[in-house]
Amino acid sequence: MTSKERVKIAMELGTADRVPLMCQLSLGHYFLHSGIDPVEIWFTSDGFSEALHTMAERYKFDGILVNLPGRERDYTSQIKKIERGEEEIRINWRNGHYTVLPRDDNPHYYNASGDRSFPQFEEIDPEKLFYVEPWDITEVSHPYTWGFSEQVAQRDGFFPEYHLDNIKDTIRKNKNNLSIHSEVFSPWSQFLELLNYESALIAILDDPGKVRACLERLTEGTIELAKSQAECGVDAILISSAFAGAGLISRENYIDFVLPYEKRIIDSLHQSTDVPVYTHTCGSIGDRLDLMLETGTDGIDTLDPPPLGTVELPEAKETLRNRAFIKGNIDPVNTLLMGNREQIIKDIKWRLEIGKPGGGYILSSACSIAPGTPTENIELLSSIIETEGKY
Amino acid sequence: MSGTIYQALADAVIEGNQGKAVECTADLLKDGTDPKMILDNGLLKGMEVVGIKFRDNLIFVPQVLISARAFKSSLSILEPFLSKSDTEGMGTVVIGTVKGDIHDIGKNIVAMMLKSSGFRVVDLGIDVKAEKFIDAIKNEKAVILGMSALLTTTMGYMKAVIDKIKNENLSVKTIVGGAPISNSFAEQIGADGYAKNASDAVELSKRIIK
Repeated sequence: MTSKERVKIAMELGTADRVPLMCQLSLGHYFLHSGIDPVEIWFTSDGFSEALHTMAERYKFDGILVNLPGRERDYTSQIKKIERGEEEIRINWRNGHYTVLPRDDNPHYYNASGDRSFPQFEEIDPEKLFYVEPWDITEVSHPYTWGFSEQVAQRDGFFPEYHLDNIKDTIRKNKNNLSIHSEVFSPWSQFLELLNYESALIAILDDPGKVRACLERLTEGTIELAKSQAECGVDAILISSAFAGAGLISRENYIDFVLPYEKRIIDSLHQSTDVPVYTHTCGSIGDRLDLMLETGTDGIDTLDPPPLGTVELPEAKETLRNRAFIKGNIDPVNTLLMGNREQIIKDIKWRLEIGKPGGGYILSSACSIAPGTPTENIELLSSIIETEGKY
Repeated sequence: MSGTIYQALADAVIEGNQGKAVECTADLLKDGTDPKMILDNGLLKGMEVVGIKFRDNLIFVPQVLISARAFKSSLSILEPFLSKSDTEGMGTVVIGTVKGDIHDIGKNIVAMMLKSSGFRVVDLGIDVKAEKFIDAIKNEKAVILGMSALLTTTMGYMKAVIDKIKNENLSVKTIVGGAPISNSFAEQIGADGYAKNASDAVELSKRIIK
């Protein structure tokens, strides 16, 4: 059985030959451990897809999440100077702005004065929104421009041709028949990334009508992007909805600002493709698994256990049984990053004991595997699953 | 009369009604009310309720943020009339997100809740180096240092700051928090306390300085 088939069966709530293994790695983990230059990983499709496959092969994962968009192919023409320090790489751009790539963490783009820019809520015209890409190399702007382009992106042809390059490259290099998943951001996540978190959270009380209008538009763009990813041949689409947990918003807020928009995306994809769609929400979601199911999602990713979140696997298994697959919920900090060999083995065996019966379970870290996680800790996962994960 | 308007001010803060909170504060000042009484019986009273509701999951971050906005706006018109001792309250807390980390929403909420619980708060912002923490502790005569980290890559830096504080024999208490932080991690790095959330941070801070 191929990895692709194994993951497909699990996503269809069935039992394959064994439980599939598929974790999301933090960008910093690729930077530290793939042997590929962080600049290549962050700015090129070839570098990123190579890093994805290198690490998936090393850890014997059954699937890969392609969680960066393609990049402007001629981005190097914008570079003035690259400074490589011990802790970070700094790229100075011709426009006076700069990007800092820490050796072990997510890069960020700064303007000349060292600030990150975010539009004010009052400046936002919902009609001009379509999609906000938090991983754009120059971060977000309004009205939206891609990368170093000065052209405002119009609704027709909003996504540049290169946007799907990472997905296409990852699929092209997929000699091991892994399950390849793509990512779109939930309209709610896009809204928070657009305004920066505090302003966005205040906006839902100051002018909820305008926020809903923004989310409506962002839903349309998300559907278009997800459909184009499906056309590329991905095996599943993940909706990244990191800010929808109880750490930030109430169930009522979720019902108002998250659920209807994610439901529309999922309904639209279910009507037009066979590609499964699942949802990634960090932190405290134990009180809203029922609401997440109402979006029609095919699966739930992360499911952070205490103390990181509030999801106990036995309860989640009961709630989601025969309704949605589970991808999670190993504690990436207290178990994988800080745990010793014995603790990790005990923890994984226990999660398999709960998650495996009846199928519909993909063994995974809850949130991303931290940059500094010892590689031998992650390598343990595949050896345990070969014995304990078999059906 | 004052009691009613104190309550109106507290309610405006609880509701996050910025305009009403400012109006009540201005009215009280115009009536010649003692600014310290306005602070204690109106603004801080309101924020105390906000803290309790947040702790009990009756309200969430958006509601806390608009209450904080109402509190801050009112305080800004009140501050010129308050004496230094009025604003020093329970002592000074220096707070910041550690070097390499640019996440600030959790830290901001903690800072605001501490401020509204009677602490003077010096917020150093994000990406704060050990030297800057040390300078602020000394210059501001801080009784507590609060450090936040959201990333596993930056949480280790908290130990570097604590080690430096110990090397310099500063008597400040250190508390830490953030998504990947736990009680055991706090103990491991030699912090004086770990706060799971903003309400915890306030309780811990009150306890730790006794």
